[in-house]
Amino acid sequence: MATTETLIPAHPRHTLFSFARIRAITTNTLLELVRLKVFYFMLIFALVLIGSSAFMVKFTFQQQFQVLKDVSLGAMSIFTWLLAVLSTAMLLPKDIEDRTLYTILAKPVPRLEYLLGKLLGVLLMLLLALGAMSAVFLAVLYLREQSAFADAMRGQAPGEALDAALREIRASTFTFNLLPGICVIYLKAALCASLTLLLSTFASSWIFTVITSVMVYFIGHVQPIAREYWLSQMPGGHDPSLVLKLFLGLVALVFPDFQIFNLVDDVAAGNAVPAAMFFKTAALGLGYVGTYTFVAYLSFANKEL
Amino acid sequence: MFFLKSRMSVPAISIQNLSKEFPIPFRRESVAAVKGLSLEVQAGQVYGLLGPNGSGKSTTMKIVLGLVSPTSGKTEIFGRDSTLVESREEVGFLPENPYFYKYLTGQETLEFYGKLCGLRGARLRERTRELLELVGLEKAADRRVGGYSKGMLQRIGLAQALVQEPRLLVLDEPTAGVDPAGSREIRDLILDFKRRGITVLLCSHLLGQVQEICDRIGILHQGVLIREGPLTELISIENQTELILETAPADLLREIEAAIARTPGSRLLEQRKPQTTLERFFLEVTGANPDER
Repeated sequence: MATTETLIPAHPRHTLFSFARIRAITTNTLLELVRLKVFYFMLIFALVLIGSSAFMVKFTFQQQFQVLKDVSLGAMSIFTWLLAVLSTAMLLPKDIEDRTLYTILAKPVPRLEYLLGKLLGVLLMLLLALGAMSAVFLAVLYLREQSAFADAMRGQAPGEALDAALREIRASTFTFNLLPGICVIYLKAALCASLTLLLSTFASSWIFTVITSVMVYFIGHVQPIAREYWLSQMPGGHDPSLVLKLFLGLVALVFPDFQIFNLVDDVAAGNAVPAAMFFKTAALGLGYVGTYTFVAYLSFANKEL
Repeated sequence: MFFLKSRMSVPAISIQNLSKEFPIPFRRESVAAVKGLSLEVQAGQVYGLLGPNGSGKSTTMKIVLGLVSPTSGKTEIFGRDSTLVESREEVGFLPENPYFYKYLTGQETLEFYGKLCGLRGARLRERTRELLELVGLEKAADRRVGGYSKGMLQRIGLAQALVQEPRLLVLDEPTAGVDPAGSREIRDLILDFKRRGITVLLCSHLLGQVQEICDRIGILHQGVLIREGPLTELISIENQTELILETAPADLLREIEAAIARTPGSRLLEQRKPQTTLERFFLEVTGANPDER
């Protein structure tokens, strides 16, 4: 070993907030996640499911495309959610267990930057995974479309009837309406990732985090129905009191209304999503991500390590 | 100006009346880990913080590093409140039994920590190369940390602690689980840091090693500092004197014994051949001289 005489001075000036530090943690988190073999299995399974959905039924081409979109978007939604919850749940406990967190926070790294770096790493991984699934989905859709075109052209002579058939095929396959659907799937996964990150800041184990996150997910799907039912039971159709409104608002904050992300079902059904509705959903999703990340920071800032 | 403390007169670590209580969940009780601890570690010292398990050493270290918040009291690093993130610019930390990201190589590990400290580009590469050389891991630089031995993990841990060239090193059991040769290497490194003016706060159960390298020690017991001071003063026996002679003839020894016998109140307690240490003997017979590795 050498002596410390050879060391060069290295005293960079500390900055209160540094994108470079966040980028270092983000890159490292992404690397950590993409090297986990279990996620490859999940991703491959999702890709196979999406790919094989093209061969599941032999009805009319509209029905085939409907099933293809239903299965593919459903698989993308579920696997992106699973990836978000499972990958985020283990990040913090693993760093604490291995004491890697001590060595990182003993450097001039604010806890907010550490959390943001971890979350952004997960969001990047989700983007890559959803990108891969979307690519397979769109490729399958394109191939099926070409096959349907060929079938239509074989069966009919050129003319208005053929043009109408081709237009119908195009309308049933790829439309730009699919893109907001994929964006909503991503936003839902991002929301679940930030929620899971929040839970992991005070959970005692990653299993507890996963179970709680899954429970919140299911409650989030049910709570708007329960809320509507409760309000409909108000005597004489009276407006709810302020206290009740606050309580319902709090419940909606803790258990996000996942029904708002059911836009994907409309997209799969071929319905056009109005821009205003998409942007409202996106803003709500981003609002949840921001709120959960902020609360996660408040919880993590005072955590005893 | 008179009201500005000079850089060297500011203690590396200042702990004032520090207490820490951990609440017991679901009970209205708490466990006191540290009780009214006050101590200072002067710049350039190697300070040994000793104590049995559960005595509050690790809690004290974590409070100094901002990983745990104190219930009361104050800690400073080179005059800056240690709860502030920027105070960590001056600190390098090696936790007990550290594990690093297994998928990174030794070089990537140091680059990661360097980036966290604001190092970039050629400066980062140069720094990484020097640290790998310093801890003797140049040949393992491209190997994944997951395949490192215990001793190599401690050395890469030491290198990451040094990455921003801190003025203070906090080392928690730096030689735990390391073989005697590796342990000696780490000890020599700590002595080298001391020579370079780097302050070291060392927690260790290996009292022999602490005795070899520490200038000053504090002993914690049940969260209370029960002894503190310069090591030589604390362990020396004031009314005894040790003479070690080389190639002394038998006549000289007899004369010394006679002189002692003639002096009222003096007494020869023991006369024996000095012994080497077991560590030195082990390293000699195994040929594990760190200078030759």
